[in-house]
Amino acid sequence: MSSIDTSGVWIIVPAFNEGQVIGDVVADLRSAFAHVVVVDDGSRDDTADVALRAGAHVVPHPVNLGQGAAIQTGVEYARRQPGAELFATFDADGQHRVKDVLAMLERISGGDADLVIGTRFTGSTIVRTPPLKRLILRTAAFLSPSSRRLGLTDAHNGLRVFNRTVAEHLNLTMSGMSHASEFIKLADENRWRVTEQPVEILYTAYSLSKGQPLLNGVNIVFDGFLRGKMRR
Amino acid sequence: MNWIQVLLIVAVVALLVYLLRSRTNAKAKAWVKVGYVLFVVAAIYAILRPDDTTVVANWLGVDRGADLLSYALMIAFVFTTLSTYLRFKELELRYARLARAVALQSARTPDH
Repeated sequence: MSSIDTSGVWIIVPAFNEGQVIGDVVADLRSAFAHVVVVDDGSRDDTADVALRAGAHVVPHPVNLGQGAAIQTGVEYARRQPGAELFATFDADGQHRVKDVLAMLERISGGDADLVIGTRFTGSTIVRTPPLKRLILRTAAFLSPSSRRLGLTDAHNGLRVFNRTVAEHLNLTMSGMSHASEFIKLADENRWRVTEQPVEILYTAYSLSKGQPLLNGVNIVFDGFLRGKMRR
Repeated sequence: MNWIQVLLIVAVVALLVYLLRSRTNAKAKAWVKVGYVLFVVAAIYAILRPDDTTVVANWLGVDRGADLLSYALMIAFVFTTLSTYLRFKELELRYARLARAVALQSARTPDH
């Protein structure tokens, strides 16, 4: 369906206790991409073995650090691989579609963006986000000055595609769930050209049960305030 | 002298000795130590002549010396909590970087 060359593309999948679904997610990705790296964030189950058997590179955190740290590790692994040109982050719970990644890659190949972020709130796809989650995500996007400045509508979408410029300079310091807003702040500070692409999120019972509790939004806002006060 | 005064002075002096004997990161800690010596001197004075804190409190528009001390304590507590929080975050970041270095060394590649 797509004409783009995927040999320089690395898909980064942060995973924590996803043994049940990681095999299918990796297999699905491998059908379209040669290079998939799963960062096993100190899982207690067989996530690492299943992912490796399904054909992914596996980088195992010795202890659980959080999703932000896992993404940073994945990017550092991928960017040192020969020929790596484009990168994508992809959640391990099966909520994203490979089709959307391909469309985003095509978009970034056009050369007028450094970072393409998925959004579930624009475009023609029927959005089936649960109402409370929708309200909170929209509020989060609105509360972030960087999101507003860049005109982004979905602050916490796990699907992102970016080029080497972004990968080289990415330095996520928020280990937990606050990395999504940190990613956007970095984009704003480094003047990366950011654009959004409508994507569909598959809210399966599994992905909903694994999703972050909405109350975590409080932590994210708090971390955002403190981030500036830390030495990097 | 009351027993409570003896106990408080012993406690404050013991803390001073403990702090002066711990030696890590010379320059930054030196100022903390100077500040602590000043604190101990002020504390012993306040323990021996508690009514004098009321005089200082009155200068600042507070009725009782005890109230002034509790205000100061609250501010010190908030300050300590925040600096500890930031310190923890910084340590967490270093810990993450260490774990990342280990992870990158133990990466496994698929056979196919």
